[in-house]
Amino acid sequence: MIEVRGVTKTYGKKQNTFTALDNVSFTIPDGASVAILGKSGSGKSTLMHAMSGLDRPEVGEVIIDGKNILKMKQKEVDAFRSTKMSFIFQSFFVQANESCFDNVSLPLEIADVPFGKRREMIEKTLAAVELLDKKKSRARDLSGGQKQRLAVARAIVNNPRVLFADEPTGNLDSATGEVVEDLLFGYNKSTGSTLVIVTHDPELADKCDIRIHIKDGKIESITEPHKKTDAPRPAVRKIQ
Amino acid sequence: MKIQDTIRRAGRSLRQAKARTLLTSLAIGVGAFTITLAFAAGAGGRAYAEDIVSSNTNVREIYVQPKQDAQNDPSKPKEYSEDPTISFGGGFTAKLMKQSDIDKIAKIDGVESTTPQYTVTIKYVTRSGQKKYTANVESFNASVKQEYAAGNSNNLTKDQVIIPDSFREALGFASANDAIGQTIQIVADKGGMAMPESQSFDYKIAGVVKPSALAVSASSGILLHKDAALELYNYTQQGTPLFGNYYGVLVTAKENVDVKDLKERINSQGSYDAQTAEDLMSFIFQFINVLQGILLGFGALAVLTSIFGIINTQYISVLERTQQIGLMKALGMRRRDVGRLFRYEAAWVGFLGGVIGSGLAIGAGFIGNPLISDALNLGKTHLLIFDPLTVTAVILGLMLVSVGAGMLPARKAAKLDPIEALRTE
Repeated sequence: MIEVRGVTKTYGKKQNTFTALDNVSFTIPDGASVAILGKSGSGKSTLMHAMSGLDRPEVGEVIIDGKNILKMKQKEVDAFRSTKMSFIFQSFFVQANESCFDNVSLPLEIADVPFGKRREMIEKTLAAVELLDKKKSRARDLSGGQKQRLAVARAIVNNPRVLFADEPTGNLDSATGEVVEDLLFGYNKSTGSTLVIVTHDPELADKCDIRIHIKDGKIESITEPHKKTDAPRPAVRKIQ
Repeated sequence: MKIQDTIRRAGRSLRQAKARTLLTSLAIGVGAFTITLAFAAGAGGRAYAEDIVSSNTNVREIYVQPKQDAQNDPSKPKEYSEDPTISFGGGFTAKLMKQSDIDKIAKIDGVESTTPQYTVTIKYVTRSGQKKYTANVESFNASVKQEYAAGNSNNLTKDQVIIPDSFREALGFASANDAIGQTIQIVADKGGMAMPESQSFDYKIAGVVKPSALAVSASSGILLHKDAALELYNYTQQGTPLFGNYYGVLVTAKENVDVKDLKERINSQGSYDAQTAEDLMSFIFQFINVLQGILLGFGALAVLTSIFGIINTQYISVLERTQQIGLMKALGMRRRDVGRLFRYEAAWVGFLGGVIGSGLAIGAGFIGNPLISDALNLGKTHLLIFDPLTVTAVILGLMLVSVGAGMLPARKAAKLDPIEALRTE
């Protein structure tokens, strides 16, 4: 479960302050897929950064697995990110000069996974994104869709509990984008991990369990389009 | 992140910028080349000097002189002393060793033998039908290595002589073999006589000494048996006031006795100034060390210059890889590990530079050694000696220097804000 409580993030000093997040609170249950929607500059990326501990807002709490990651030491947050979370970015950020194998190996190395275990994990994951035959190819030789699949492989190789995707299909055409979406939702459903997608694409957002609309740093609405009416408890509620 | 993974990633990053890595390491390689050569020349020079020392002197020998007065100001009158002295004029004097001093030293524990040092002043050396030549006459010392063109010094007797090859030629022998067994005359003045009186002494040539690259002076004099030399000395000095007093005495230590300890024991016995062979030859080592120091200085200068090259390259590398650093930090890589990655890259550059530089230096030594030995007529002696330990130490040292140089860029990389870094497009 991810609990966000009263998170406020401001940039700048004194007269020039800009509030990127204004007292944002919500709860995401385990295994949910969440879309954070909003226009550019609405604060949706800042929210993702705060939820993943990349950014550290001065006010509020982000509680994951019962721990407030905003109060953790940098070392603990790093360890947390390397073992429990992962990221996918709009512009892939795969290492062009490295082979697909080495790209996927990076998070395992960072998380101190023993050398002997890595090969199997990497090959299994590459097979899952259908890139096993490209194992030794350099990332720069891949197409855009392949690069994002490689990024997905890198993100899921260490079995994270939370997967953050920042506009994962923003640089892809609809066909290749769909493949990547299927991979993300497939991982979300099959492992019961939480998927947080930052997007402004309503079609992609439609596929998520929960949609959080952000406007000017505030939550405009939280909707659950697929929620069955007889659900025993609300999966998420807006806290004011 | 595990160390070996960091090292591997650092190496891989460098391979991706091959030209830049190579150029940066070449800069440090120039330093490595010079430093390795400096150490090789120093080691070779010292080994060569040790050869000279051991071929000209016996390491078990200690040369003892009386301690000269500290107050030796020629402008002031000096108190008279019963001790024998010689004066050089202008008020400068030197004390001499008495026979009683020599007897005292001979009794010190660890002393095998004592040989008083004197110079035999002869008039000339000649042979029938040849010109007369002045010459130094020394008493033969078996511990000084000699190379013989003909004959040898085995069983040298009182009536035999060993001459250098230059005298063989001057005295008109066609070859060294022709000279063996022939007779030469040494003519000397009798000492203590009012009227000059000379006598001629005959010696048979037992050996002809080759000119040696290693010898400083040993082969330039005419060598006589110890007793023959003493006889000549007595002939020329008896009756003069300084007879029986010597400039110094050569003490030979017993085997397995530490020469330095014995030197201390001799000095503690009285007002003596004892010097080991090593002390006497120390000027050579000093000279070599100064030369090595100068070369090392040049090497250090080259390394200093290359430090700025490394800092510059690494800064550019950090800028180029902002995104990569951001991604690694987003994936949970710790500051410490990011800094380490860049420091290891710098270490790789230092390693590469060290290996290239010292490799070239060893190659240069391989080619240069025979040429140098040929040019200086050193025979099989090599002036450049590469000690694997020194070379390893040079490489390790340069790696450390590189890591030091990579510190600032590594800090910059470690401090990068991942959000900012990932925003860079």
